[in-house]
Amino acid sequence: MVKDKSDVLQGTLDMLVLRALQLEPMHGWGIAERIEQWSEQVLQLGQGSLYPALYRMERQDFIRSEWRVTDNNRRARYYSLTARGRRYMNESLAQWRRMSRAINLVLDVTAVS
Amino acid sequence: MGALVDALRRLGSLVRRHELEDRLDDEIRFHVEQQIEKNRRAGMAPVEARRQALIRFGGVEQMRERTRDEFRAGLIEHLARDVRYGLRSLRRHPGFTAMAVLSLSIGIGANATIFGVARAILFRESPLHDPATLVNIYESDAGRPFAPMSHPNIEDLRKGTTDVFRGTAASTFAVAQIDGGGTVSMVMGEAVTGGAFTLFGVEPALGRAILPEDDIARGGHPVVMLSHGYWQRAFGSDPQVIGRALKMSGRSYTIIGVAPASYRGGLPAVTPAFYLPMSMVDEVMGIEMLDQRNFHNFVLRARLAPGVTRAQAEHAASLVATSLNTARPEGWIPGEQFVFVPTSDVQVLPGVDPLLRAAAWLLLAVVALVLLLACTNLASFLLARAVDRGPEVAVRRALGATRGALARQLLVESALLGLAGAAGGLALALVLLNVLLSIDLPLPYGIRLDLHFGLDQTALLDWRVLTLTAVCGVLAGGLLGLLPAIQGTRAHPGSALNAGGRGSDAAGPVRWRSALVIAQIAISLVLLVGAGLFLRSWQQMLAVDPGFGRAPTSILSVMMPVTRSKPGDAVQRTRRLLERFRTLPGIEAVGLVWPLPLEFSSSHTDFTIDGRLPPPGREAFRSERAWVDGAFFDAAGMAIVAGRTFNDGDRRNSQPVAIISQAMARRYWPDGDALGRILRRPDPAEADLVIVGVASDINVRSLGEAPRDVVYECYTQGDGLPGFSFVARSATDPAQISPALVAAAQEIDPDLRVYQSMTMTRHLALSRLPAQIGAVLLVAFAAIGMALAAVGVYGMVRYSVAMRTREVGIRMALGADAAGVARMLATHGVRLVLFGGVIGVAASLVAARFLATLLFGVGTFDPVALIGAPLALGIAAWLAAYLPARRASRVDPLAALRAE
Repeated sequence: MVKDKSDVLQGTLDMLVLRALQLEPMHGWGIAERIEQWSEQVLQLGQGSLYPALYRMERQDFIRSEWRVTDNNRRARYYSLTARGRRYMNESLAQWRRMSRAINLVLDVTAVS
Repeated sequence: MGALVDALRRLGSLVRRHELEDRLDDEIRFHVEQQIEKNRRAGMAPVEARRQALIRFGGVEQMRERTRDEFRAGLIEHLARDVRYGLRSLRRHPGFTAMAVLSLSIGIGANATIFGVARAILFRESPLHDPATLVNIYESDAGRPFAPMSHPNIEDLRKGTTDVFRGTAASTFAVAQIDGGGTVSMVMGEAVTGGAFTLFGVEPALGRAILPEDDIARGGHPVVMLSHGYWQRAFGSDPQVIGRALKMSGRSYTIIGVAPASYRGGLPAVTPAFYLPMSMVDEVMGIEMLDQRNFHNFVLRARLAPGVTRAQAEHAASLVATSLNTARPEGWIPGEQFVFVPTSDVQVLPGVDPLLRAAAWLLLAVVALVLLLACTNLASFLLARAVDRGPEVAVRRALGATRGALARQLLVESALLGLAGAAGGLALALVLLNVLLSIDLPLPYGIRLDLHFGLDQTALLDWRVLTLTAVCGVLAGGLLGLLPAIQGTRAHPGSALNAGGRGSDAAGPVRWRSALVIAQIAISLVLLVGAGLFLRSWQQMLAVDPGFGRAPTSILSVMMPVTRSKPGDAVQRTRRLLERFRTLPGIEAVGLVWPLPLEFSSSHTDFTIDGRLPPPGREAFRSERAWVDGAFFDAAGMAIVAGRTFNDGDRRNSQPVAIISQAMARRYWPDGDALGRILRRPDPAEADLVIVGVASDINVRSLGEAPRDVVYECYTQGDGLPGFSFVARSATDPAQISPALVAAAQEIDPDLRVYQSMTMTRHLALSRLPAQIGAVLLVAFAAIGMALAAVGVYGMVRYSVAMRTREVGIRMALGADAAGVARMLATHGVRLVLFGGVIGVAASLVAARFLATLLFGVGTFDPVALIGAPLALGIAAWLAAYLPARRASRVDPLAALRAE
């Protein structure tokens, strides 16, 4: 039952992270877990890319972070979306949808023929 | 806007660096712990859960490095980090850092200083408006291609060239006694044609310039303009100075303006303290020079009229010369021409400019070599450090640092050294300039060079010198750092880590370093040989016997106020002065002479001899001429080798007589029968002379010259002379005699203008000055160069010794003796020194040929310099190689082995 696991596509990582943060603020581990969960364990985030991405997006003002206490009383850094980040996410999401639809169309056509 | 916020945020994170590092650590820890927990919940054993979590997380260090890059991304952040790291690493090696910075500072400082001074003397730009249309005009005959003009000649030339010149302006030295509230001092200024400032387009800094209407009636315009430097020195830059009175040579002058700082007047080399209208020069000097055609003391500059070429103007001037040749006015030198030189081509005088330029280029070449030595030292050190750092670099590479980042780090470190060197060099240059400008040059007449335009010495370090210094520093640091940077980052992680600490694959750098040492030895040897040649030159100069003034002697130069006395009266006064001087205690003999030998002024006379044809193309023979009294020869330490000296019987109305130099007697009367012969003089103003004596030869114009023909005339038989130099030979210290002479002179004749009082030693030092300056500067720079080279050798040997510590340990453990080991370790260095020495000697032989024009009495193949210099360098280099080697051979073998 080993599923194929793939690295997150270059450039889509930002979108996935922002999407994961859309509902509620979360810490790094939570983000990684959520993405994995949502993608039914297909997408595995390399931590080597997650934290640099988080720090970069914070610098770009897409997200902000603060120390909070977790449910089991541990201190963790929680990330949340900024207005700018939400806008950016919506834009990239729309673009992604256009793109994947186009790709799907192409793939469907080839499949039918 | 967004970009700005981003930049601020980056800057902010820069400040909060530690905070961010801690935060990242905390996040990573939290992440891994969460994963462990999850794994355990999935049923793993604790150890396995931890292992899996860490595997899952991946390379912590790499990720950390990347994250750091993210929150400090961008050039500024990297640079700031590299600078901080660089500073820390330089601090960790204080010896290395100090040596590198010191080397660079010396190289850069020497360059900044010499460039500053050379620029001030030679490459100063002219503040004159439209310099392309300005020409300097000189009188020229066979003996003197660029002689100053006389004022009547200038007037004739001006009248004959009104349509080719828009205007002409003459300048001459004006020495005035300025009464500064109780203390009277001789100050040198410049007399200029009214309107000169307008002609040159020089705007006064304050007040107004000297206008044509200030220069009409002789003695009728007591106005003065101050130079910027004198205004600062004597008036404390007082802006209210305009309209105030300045007492000069007994008359009150109104200060009308201050010249700009950039203007240095029209006189060769010196900067005048003040500017006077030309019509006032006779009065302020107390002599008549404006009407004397044989008083060649004026610099003439002219501006070409629009559309007129230099050739056209030269033609117009040649017509004037031709008509003067026909008219033969009294004092005109037959056959003379007027020559033109573009004003912008003249630095000091066309005759001496080539020599000055050669000297300046030599100095610049010398300091460039010093800088090169300093840079090779730096390169050599950086290289050694790069090799030393092999393991560190390998570790950092293994931990994920990119090659670019490491190379950048090394470059930044080199640039830091370069900047520190530039800063140190600048500080050094300021000190050196201060020292140079405070040196009391034995210049006559209160002349000041005012290289710094009367400003702070920092004015010499203008933006060009500063830029040059900084570029030198950063380039030296950056470029030389590049090499080790490339070399250092190439080290493969594995091999460097395995090599046991010391970079073993260091054959390349060692070879390169050896090449650097060889180059250093060769360069410093060239410098040393050059210095040796100049030292020898100076030594020769010191050994020259000018033929006079060997005994303790003091000199008092005065101007005779002849304008206010009858000619016979002047002789009476002079005689009274001489008699008074003779009664002073300590004085053995006093005589007078004009012009003083080896001073700037000279005089000559034309004559014919019965039964002897003048040289082809000439109507008469020509010789130097001096007016003296009978006691001069004794006072100056000369000998009358035949006949007699002048005596009281030689009077104005008696037979005019002459004493000639021994060289002249030999030339015209080789059989020794000069006495009683007659010198017939074509100039109707000069009487024929009967030779009554022959005096020993002296140097008249320059030290060490071939003996010249000199005619001495008796001062009582001439017309009134502008001035005299009294020469007083004393039994005691001449420096103590000088004040007594001044006091006695002013007591006898209060009108007398004393313009110079000095010892003979100081007077002769002026002639030796160029050789002395050359020798002192070259020796100083060569010594610096040698020190730098020695440091280079020392560093190289010390380093290669350090790399071979283990080998030394083994050899010693196996029973090698210390001396043998030291010899072995030093051998490599010594071999390099020998190799560099051979190249250096060859290079010096070539370089010495360029020095020939600047040397005196020394061939370019001077065995003393060619043996002495390598010997000195050899000893220094041997010590530099042997000391670290010997120290290494003293180590305890066990300690050496353990050190690895």
